[in-house]
Amino acid sequence: MFLLETLIKTALVIAGLMTAAAYLVLLERWMAAWIQDRLGPNRVGIPLTRIRLFGLGQPLADGVKFFFKEEFTPSHVDKLLYFLGPAVMFTAAVAIFAVVPFGSVLPSEFGLEGMSRPIELVVAPGVDVAVLYVFAAGSIAVYGALLSGWASNNKYSMYGGLRGAAQLISYELPLGLGLVGVVLASGSLRLDVIIAQQAQSGAWNVALQPLGFLVFFVAGFAESGRLPFDLPETEQELVGGYHTEYSGVKLLLILVSEFLHMIVASFLIVILFFGGWHLWGVTGSGQEVTWPIALARVVVLLGKVLLTILFFMLARWSWPRFRFDQLMALAWKVILPLGMVNLVVLVVWVEYGAKMAAALGISNIAAMAAFGWGVFAASAAVVVWLVPGEPDNRPRRGPAWQLGPTDEEETPQ
Amino acid sequence: MTRVTIDNRVLELDPEDRLNGIEAAARLGIEIPHYCWHPGLSVVGSCRMCLVEHGTIDRAKGHVVMMPKLVPACQTPATDGSVFITNSPKVVQARAMVEEGLLLRHPVDCPICDKAGECFLQDYHFRHGQDARRADARPFVSRRRELGPDITLFVDRCILCSRCVRFVREVSGSSELMVTGRGSHEEIDVLADFPLNNNLSGNVVDLCPVGALCDKHFLYRQRVWFMRSHEGVCAGCATGCSIWIDENQDRVHRIRPRENPKVNRWWICNDGRWSYPHVHNPSRLATPLRREGGATVAVDWSKLVRELDGRLRHAGPLAAVVSPFLTVEEAYLLCRYIRSIDPEAILALGPVPTVGEDERFPGGFVISAEKCPNRRGVERILAHFAGRVASFDEVVSRAHQGGVGGAWVSGGYRRPWIDASAAEQLARAGLLVVQDLFDSPLAERAGYVLPGAAFVERDGSYVNRDGLLQSARRAIRPPSGARTEGSLLWELSGRSGLYQAEVVLQEVFREIEMKEPRMNTDEHG
Amino acid sequence: MKPDDPRVRWIDEPELGPLGRVYVPLATEGLATTLRHLFGRKKTVQSPEERYVSPAPLIYRGVHRLNRDSQGRVKCVACFLCATACPAHCIDIVAAESPWPDRDKYPESFTIDELRCIYCGMCEEACPVDAIELTSLYDLSGKSREEMIFDKEKLLAVYDMTKDAEPMRTAGVPEPRRKEDGP
Repeated sequence: MFLLETLIKTALVIAGLMTAAAYLVLLERWMAAWIQDRLGPNRVGIPLTRIRLFGLGQPLADGVKFFFKEEFTPSHVDKLLYFLGPAVMFTAAVAIFAVVPFGSVLPSEFGLEGMSRPIELVVAPGVDVAVLYVFAAGSIAVYGALLSGWASNNKYSMYGGLRGAAQLISYELPLGLGLVGVVLASGSLRLDVIIAQQAQSGAWNVALQPLGFLVFFVAGFAESGRLPFDLPETEQELVGGYHTEYSGVKLLLILVSEFLHMIVASFLIVILFFGGWHLWGVTGSGQEVTWPIALARVVVLLGKVLLTILFFMLARWSWPRFRFDQLMALAWKVILPLGMVNLVVLVVWVEYGAKMAAALGISNIAAMAAFGWGVFAASAAVVVWLVPGEPDNRPRRGPAWQLGPTDEEETPQ
Repeated sequence: MTRVTIDNRVLELDPEDRLNGIEAAARLGIEIPHYCWHPGLSVVGSCRMCLVEHGTIDRAKGHVVMMPKLVPACQTPATDGSVFITNSPKVVQARAMVEEGLLLRHPVDCPICDKAGECFLQDYHFRHGQDARRADARPFVSRRRELGPDITLFVDRCILCSRCVRFVREVSGSSELMVTGRGSHEEIDVLADFPLNNNLSGNVVDLCPVGALCDKHFLYRQRVWFMRSHEGVCAGCATGCSIWIDENQDRVHRIRPRENPKVNRWWICNDGRWSYPHVHNPSRLATPLRREGGATVAVDWSKLVRELDGRLRHAGPLAAVVSPFLTVEEAYLLCRYIRSIDPEAILALGPVPTVGEDERFPGGFVISAEKCPNRRGVERILAHFAGRVASFDEVVSRAHQGGVGGAWVSGGYRRPWIDASAAEQLARAGLLVVQDLFDSPLAERAGYVLPGAAFVERDGSYVNRDGLLQSARRAIRPPSGARTEGSLLWELSGRSGLYQAEVVLQEVFREIEMKEPRMNTDEHG
Repeated sequence: MKPDDPRVRWIDEPELGPLGRVYVPLATEGLATTLRHLFGRKKTVQSPEERYVSPAPLIYRGVHRLNRDSQGRVKCVACFLCATACPAHCIDIVAAESPWPDRDKYPESFTIDELRCIYCGMCEEACPVDAIELTSLYDLSGKSREEMIFDKEKLLAVYDMTKDAEPMRTAGVPEPRRKEDGP
């Protein structure tokens, strides 16, 4: 019975993810078009008819196209690794969803024979190390990028792979630091517990740990390789990055994996910092649910995820891409120290905060929020103080710039 | 030793050099602009473009005495103690004024002028002229005038330097051209019954510093900047003039003289100048053919070499007719190859086309009667291999008697060179291989007809009438299907890689004591 | 001119204020811009149902045309400057002596490979007589490569087709000049 339940959920998740990825591509293209004052894909409708349906048939057409395109394998590639790259990427990306909840639980009256507990809306319920698992599976994506980049035997792919590896590894740290704050506060590595805690207190982590949220959010962006952090596949520099040499279904796998990374990042952001399925006055907060509440929780969670994804897409056209050195500097010089500050502060809070709040006679949540925002403001002040006001891409007028030998005094001020 | 000071630099000259200011400055790398002066012509000093400051060193008093006015450098000898200043503000101003005067009535129709791009008026205007035109006088009325069958004159472009007039008086000696009119009405003209039609008339086009005199055969064909110039040696007659071959995308559009004091100085004859049309004649042979019975079969070059080699080795007594149009290297390779198969093979010189007498001009230029470039070179090679130079008739008669099993006949002639009866006799040879440019009575009877190369397509050396050996590289590639004799023989001789004329020439020099002075195009040009 | 030449006036990026240094306000500004466009009016023209009409046809660089002079003859003087300027080498001209008494040189054939052309407009910049111009025709298509190689007649036909909508930039014709002197 347990096996059947798992199989059904797995099938649901994979089918849902593939459909979601396909339609998110359409959504992304629409967003891109609208932001650029265009209309976007609006022609493809129901096949063999003239019904256009605002272009909703586009993902279908794209999929068909991908499968029927010539799948070309260049002669100069390392065949085994070349095939392995997309496979690893895709598998790792899908595997993460084993522990990501897409709702709360189903009502306890619904269940299969022999089931002792309500069905949880997650493929692998009750995983104690869910957060660790997410990280472990997510890190494998690095192998996908590196393998594809290396196996393609092409300089652009190689650069893309190297950049991808460097970027993913660099941002893994702040991602972890941002997360540890949440884990510390909740005392559990289980995603459903983290959601439940937020639901119970009614205060989402984003309000309590704004600094941790910022760190996690930025690192999550970078991990999913989206603009402004899409250095591994900068079209203007690297053709297509590590997937330059791929075509057909293998390219499809890579592109879908990238979308899945974005979806995962959105899920995690929502679950860890925005209360998961919780919405005040709508979803309740208890373990026992009725059908409407169970459905509402699914809708709320997916709605929040969709909003996050829309933000991802909006961000793509809003902010210019970082330069690679800026990307690294941001990771190591800004986000990582902020993450550490967040961690230390939280450790201190967990140790003494509750007692101090009790001593002062204010509620624990309010004190934590005040403390968190205080730290956030202080950190922002420190950043303002430390960051140079002069952009570093300004041409240098010092001796390095000068063509001939010139005295320092002659340099115009 | 003559010591001349030019722009504060001292130049030491041999008094025998007898240089003028322009030439002396050129030795120091200083260019004095000039239109009317030309090293091959008399000095008139009419254009005033070469005006410079001039003075002499007064050795007794130890200072320089400058002349108050500017003098034309072309007319001022670079004598001991003379001082030239070519870059003072005064000189610069004078040049700008001269340039303005010349352009006053010039139509400035550079877009449709064939000279544009190599025009001295253009170049000097950019270097020495003024930015803006101050007067806008319309060009005068005459536009274009036919001076002769080959040369046309755009009257309004002329700057009256009179180079062309001096050329026809001093070098060709025919004096067709003259300056008519006075002052601003001066024009170059010919008398009605005496058109410009001497055999050196094409040189006036090169002499003209502007686009006034144009070559009718080249007129409007190409813009000069599209063409690449290649150093070459003219194959029109035994004089062997040095030439520039101007080519664009494997098509020769123009041939110009290349200065060579030992051969042609600055000139070439009209025959050489317009000798390139046959290169692009559509009736040129383009496919190697084998004749089987009455039918001809196209053969592929890649298979042909082995096939030919096999047939020749079993042909019996061989004969080779070495055309005087072949280069020294090609003749050497051919003789060596034939002799390596049959050590007793007859090596004969092909027919030497001769037209009339040598034509000599007052300026010293000679057009040879012998209309082939390399008779002497081929003779040296033949003598080296066979000890004597067999005549063409000898081969023909021997073939007629059935004494020739296989004959290799090289052609390359521009005009028909063999009559049907001689061809019939030669064709009695068991195996007749002909490499030629055009179809001929001989080619019609040959067992193998191989398309050969024209002179602009060959790498190699010619020995001219004075025994001067001159080497040149090809200017264009042979048309598709044709192959230079050199590369074919190189492969037939079993050598690997591409044909390298230099390598063959070194071999020739090792084996044959070539007493001829050698002139490389690399050394000159 | 060297970078440290005193005549060089340096224009620097503005200093980042305290808000700029934390990136977020500037990022928000960017977001606001994209959001504004997200809901703004769309500019797409629904081709082929609608046709785009250029508001400035003289600036647009579409199919070439060869202009005619006041007597209806090809205006080109076959100076090859367009072919020289062309970075794609798509212009092929064969020049000849003109059959008209007031002109020296004219193009016997004038061919543009529209497929090779990159529509940079250098040819019309180079033309000394404004004979070649780029029109605002943008939907050029054909069924074979040969069809897309435009010869003189076709280019003149483009002129006849577009001359009313897009008049020649200069109507000036080279002043007639007597071509030949008496013999």
